[in-house]
Amino acid sequence: MTLRARERWLRWGSLVAVAFVFAGLYVRVLTAPSPRGFAAAQAAARSASSAEPSYRAQLLPNSTAASVHSATAAEISGGRLRAFWYGGSREGAPDVAIYTSIYSLPQKDWSTERVVITREVAQKYLQRYVRKLGNPVVGRDQGGRLCLYFVSVSVGGWAGSAVNLMVSEDEGETWSPPRRLIASPFFNISTLVKGAPLQFSDGTIALPVYHELLGKFGELLRLDAEGHAIGKTRLSWGQSSLQPVIVPRSDKEAVGLMRYSGDRPNRILIVRTEDGGAHWSPPVKTALPNPNAAIGSVLLADGPLLLAFNNAEENREDLSLALSKDFGNTWRVVHRFEGDSRSTQAPVPEYSYPWIMQDRAGDVHVLYTWGRSRIKHVRFNRAWLESRR
Amino acid sequence: MPANAIFGLLGCGLLSFAAVATLIRLRRLPVRARYAVMLAAALAVFVPIGDLSVAAYVRGVTGDLSMATLVLAGAACFTQVTGRGLIRHRDKQALCWLLALAAALLYPFALGWTRFDPYALGFGSIEFIAALLLITLASWWARLNLVVLVVVVAALAFLGGVYESRNLWDTLIDPLVSFYALAWLLADARRRPSDELSCPTASV
Repeated sequence: MTLRARERWLRWGSLVAVAFVFAGLYVRVLTAPSPRGFAAAQAAARSASSAEPSYRAQLLPNSTAASVHSATAAEISGGRLRAFWYGGSREGAPDVAIYTSIYSLPQKDWSTERVVITREVAQKYLQRYVRKLGNPVVGRDQGGRLCLYFVSVSVGGWAGSAVNLMVSEDEGETWSPPRRLIASPFFNISTLVKGAPLQFSDGTIALPVYHELLGKFGELLRLDAEGHAIGKTRLSWGQSSLQPVIVPRSDKEAVGLMRYSGDRPNRILIVRTEDGGAHWSPPVKTALPNPNAAIGSVLLADGPLLLAFNNAEENREDLSLALSKDFGNTWRVVHRFEGDSRSTQAPVPEYSYPWIMQDRAGDVHVLYTWGRSRIKHVRFNRAWLESRR
Repeated sequence: MPANAIFGLLGCGLLSFAAVATLIRLRRLPVRARYAVMLAAALAVFVPIGDLSVAAYVRGVTGDLSMATLVLAGAACFTQVTGRGLIRHRDKQALCWLLALAAALLYPFALGWTRFDPYALGFGSIEFIAALLLITLASWWARLNLVVLVVVVAALAFLGGVYESRNLWDTLIDPLVSFYALAWLLADARRRPSDELSCPTASV
């Protein structure tokens, strides 16, 4: 073959290659399923599990870690909750691991904690250096598997975070190797989790995430069954909103509540969607204060929206419960978990990072960091909540 | 080990080879020494030290590298080992301009500057693919073969699920190659015209 013939072959061959790959790209995009709104949440019992008002608070076991933080939990089979949190000698230390413990709903007791994953195990399976571990959040996929998302950092502080996923098919006894979620084009850093994952009606997962590098803003990732990010929607932008918590009311309608880190007045932010998370309203400040701290929210089975939050603009010494009957337009503070002069004070007066959920029987569970040294669990029933209204 | 991880580690290893070979100016060594150095570099990069290899440490910082980086790194390794340039100056200039423009569009907005998020388009947008097709066809028409090559292999990698990412942007561009493109363009702009005339087929 002459040089000219070879060049001609390469030239037209490259055009054919372009045609083929772009045909493939168009087929991929045109055949990809589009999200069809949020899946219906699992119905909780309308009535309280007990007719009498019930409120119970207890500390979770912690036999090893000097510092613990950022609890998350899911209801598992056999009338149990499984909680996760991270703990170690201090926040950000190389010895920080993700821990788990099981709560028996009938016996009202937590099991001794055990390690789910360490930094060393994570970097072995992720095949990349991992410097420290951070926030875990747990949810379920369409197949009912437990999905544990957790933050890891290879370089720098929390702004250098990425999110990883492990899956369990036996309610958290054993886990798949972790895999990395890719959610940012900039070295895939600065993606973190705090809010509970949800399901879209097409079986994909909606994972609220936030970014902390240069900008602080929230996004809703869409994950496929294998945990690949296959889409995302921006909840906010700029430098002052993070840690979104998404609460759907129907397949189309949801609110997002976010921690605020901007200029005064320091208030919890709220965004709304009416098209299943495809578009979100600009963030606006609520009437509730926020000292640049995480919040937790859940919609109860019969409608009221609950919010666990730090009821102050400057510190995390007051952790309270607010209730909204109009899906986040107005709020009323109904209880103070911590910060009351009568309650036992932690050595470090910080009560933060609440996680709030409702079990199938209708009871509400709140887990939060208690003085950075323990995770505290509060369980109350609907009768108790009715008595606070 | 998952295929995605193997691909990611190989990519980081290739970049490490290219960096080492370029820094020590490998092509100035005798041919046998070049192969010996590359073999030693392969051992150093891929053999684990403790739990992880050097490639895994690099991957921890850089993440998986785009096809633009891998094509340029592969060409640099080829040039350093064989002493022959693969990439014409105008090809590389065009690729660097496109990478710099794409980076200027992608990164500020992806990092939360405004509500607009171009990165989300990479998950599957007809408009994004149409724009990429136009750029690719224009490059083909202008005989900018390097741009066409990078787009084709990036699209193939995306379709084949070679990367951990399912976003087309991640197969096309990464921050390292963006910084490199910008630096290369600045250096190129400062280069005297006579240099270009005397070196029309500058190699990577």
